[in-house]
Amino acid sequence: MQLEKSETMEKIPEQTAPNSRLAVWRRKLKGQKELILLSLPFVIYIIVFNYMPLIGWTMAFQKYRPALGFFEQEWVGLENFKFLFADSNFLRVIRNTLAMSTINLVLTFTFSIAFALLLNEVRNKYVKRTMQTISYLPHFLSWIIVTGIVMDVLSPETGIVNEILLALGIIDQPINFFADPKYFWWIVGFANVWKSTGWGSIIYLAAITSINKELYEAASIDGAGRFRKMWHITLPGIKPTIFILLLINIGWILDAGFEVQYLLGNGLIQSVSETIDIFVLKYGISLNNYSLATAAGIFKGIISVILIFTANKLAKMAGEERLF
Amino acid sequence: MIKINKIAEKIGAKADVKWLTGQTAKERIGVMIAGGEYPDFVDASDGTPEMVEAGAFVPLDDYIDDYPNIKNLFTEQEWNLIRSAHGKIYYIPQFGVVKGEYMRTQHNGEAFWIQKRVLKWAGYPEITTLDEYFDLIEAYLEANPESEDGQKNIGFAIITDDWRYFALENPPQFLAGYPNDGKAIVDPETLEAKVYDTIPEAKIYFKKLNEMYNKGIIDPETFTMNYDQYLAKISSGRVLGMVDQYWQFSDAENSLRSQGMDDRTYVPLDLVIDPNVTPQYLDKPHVNPARGLGITVSCEDVEGALQFLNDLLDPEVMIMRYWGEEGVDYEVDENGRFYRTEEQRANHRDTNWVTQNKADYNYFPTYEGLIEGTQNAVHPSEQPEEFWDSLTDIDREVLEAYGYEKWTDFLTPVEENKPWYPIYSAVDSWTADTPEGIAAVKMDEVKKQWLPKVIMAPTNEFEREWEEYMTVYHNEVDIEAYEKALTEEVRRRVEAALGN
Repeated sequence: MQLEKSETMEKIPEQTAPNSRLAVWRRKLKGQKELILLSLPFVIYIIVFNYMPLIGWTMAFQKYRPALGFFEQEWVGLENFKFLFADSNFLRVIRNTLAMSTINLVLTFTFSIAFALLLNEVRNKYVKRTMQTISYLPHFLSWIIVTGIVMDVLSPETGIVNEILLALGIIDQPINFFADPKYFWWIVGFANVWKSTGWGSIIYLAAITSINKELYEAASIDGAGRFRKMWHITLPGIKPTIFILLLINIGWILDAGFEVQYLLGNGLIQSVSETIDIFVLKYGISLNNYSLATAAGIFKGIISVILIFTANKLAKMAGEERLF
Repeated sequence: MIKINKIAEKIGAKADVKWLTGQTAKERIGVMIAGGEYPDFVDASDGTPEMVEAGAFVPLDDYIDDYPNIKNLFTEQEWNLIRSAHGKIYYIPQFGVVKGEYMRTQHNGEAFWIQKRVLKWAGYPEITTLDEYFDLIEAYLEANPESEDGQKNIGFAIITDDWRYFALENPPQFLAGYPNDGKAIVDPETLEAKVYDTIPEAKIYFKKLNEMYNKGIIDPETFTMNYDQYLAKISSGRVLGMVDQYWQFSDAENSLRSQGMDDRTYVPLDLVIDPNVTPQYLDKPHVNPARGLGITVSCEDVEGALQFLNDLLDPEVMIMRYWGEEGVDYEVDENGRFYRTEEQRANHRDTNWVTQNKADYNYFPTYEGLIEGTQNAVHPSEQPEEFWDSLTDIDREVLEAYGYEKWTDFLTPVEENKPWYPIYSAVDSWTADTPEGIAAVKMDEVKKQWLPKVIMAPTNEFEREWEEYMTVYHNEVDIEAYEKALTEEVRRRVEAALGN
């Protein structure tokens, strides 16, 4: 058997290698005709809407004027990038973006996972469903509403947070939360938690339901309590989901958001509230400098790709679930 | 709508007017230019330079002389300025023309505002200086920490939300006796533009605000609240005074009126620091030569379009646009003066009735003041008799106490706008690849952060904070490039107005 196989293997490449490879490819193509045809529209969609717009990246190397045609534009090389990195504000907004993204990422992950674990332990089906529904409703509110609520809640005059702190005697003067830079990142972080905890936990709850029930039964027989079971069965059971989501989210780390910071920020705290997107609006779009805005966009895109690949590589090295 | 058809019958044309929804002017203009198809008329707002650059507007230079109503809308100086923006006349500015007499009853621009109840409480004093103003607020607040309805009164508020923060940074120019040039003060003799953030009046003003903040006169939330919260506070009737432009809080004032709190509405004051300085808060309407209604290359009948605009400016049609139809919307007495009956007034207060019945040509080239050839105001609300009849008791009491006829009488009118006025419109066209463009953004950034900081500092630390603010200001902002660019623009406009 062994011998026969190796003989045939040797014969084919010698005689008809190029032809037959093509033939195999053709046969496969024919066999998967329907599948390929079915996926074709989506590939075209991605090329048209995700890759073709990249032609616009050329704007970053021009002094772009909207009314001129492509060949009439003035090329300036890397000047826009030089401007970005020479500007202390740009470095500051990168810092703000990274800080807020990291806080958001850590907080929303922890809260979503913890919430999913706790909700999973609720035995009454109806209570569980009601709680789940209520918890993910804030996800559907737009930021303009959420920031309005946040401002009302934290208001030094009428806000409930200040009232509680005063009543408990923790402070004797209301805190003006939006006047002091040290609170801002956390306000944004917890606003995100409020908005997305419930929604984020859905996927974990789904992952939990796919864990084999027998594992819990076996653990019970071994004398494990609720917390032991959570720690040794539920958490490891959803670990692949956690890693995949973490990898995807690392790609978004330079998108700390725009609306929240734009709506909650003010002059006093602008040194910590401005993100890359707000910088782009201020120095790029508001000043008719689309080239600068594009350069900042390219910077964001490239860093994101690098981050995803690095994270993926690290996950691979650690032997964990990965994206590709 | 009915009136539009009446006007159409009379002049043989009408326009279908479309407003932007959910899109900025720039976005819409971008789409139009890409498609190459335009409506007959376009006011491109801040997309105007793009429209001109794309060759979308028909140059009107050779036509204008044949249409006297359009031609007479502007002075030769003003036409020169409009032409100078792009080398040719591509559009007709829609606002800022006054004919006959300046009739405005309400000051729409910036002022220090004070609630009528405060003036009444103090026995209608004359307030001319910053110190008098804050002394009055302080005294009132001390005597009345709460209003009758049990709400806490707020002494003074400033809106600082995003781009609306100008009322925080620009009062020094007014206090020093300059008009609202906005981005700088301009010396009328040397024609030099200078930033007003570093003049002595600026420090005096912000020191005063610092003192008031520490006394609790200024709302502690003022630097963190957004525009909606600001309007909500004013609408509650608690805010005794603020420095702002009227259009920013007019909605809140309407709300006060509808709640029956007429004594909490506001009177404008043109304060100065040195009483010998003449204030220039009340500017004449000015033509913005940088934008207007243009006729596009898609229009098949340019002459017809111009004839249409010309007819809309005809006195008879102007009456139809603003007053309506005689016997239906207004009456004429034996002296030729227009007035409205009680029923007609009630109709015009009803917004539903107005949208169904009235013409929508408020935003075509027009003028204010008096209708040509008559002694009647263009806007019915500015006809003195109509204005007086629309007032509530407290309004009349306040005006009579000061011997005034309308709210604008509280302010000293600017005699004549200078040809460069207002210089702030120059800044709109600056881009990020010029040093002055970057300087303007940096300047805003520094002021947005530092002005609240110096105001909120403890009183004994004010000097130190101010020093630090000035250091940062000088380090971050390229003042030289900024002032140079504005000075050049002032001189360019003066030359352009002369037709050179």
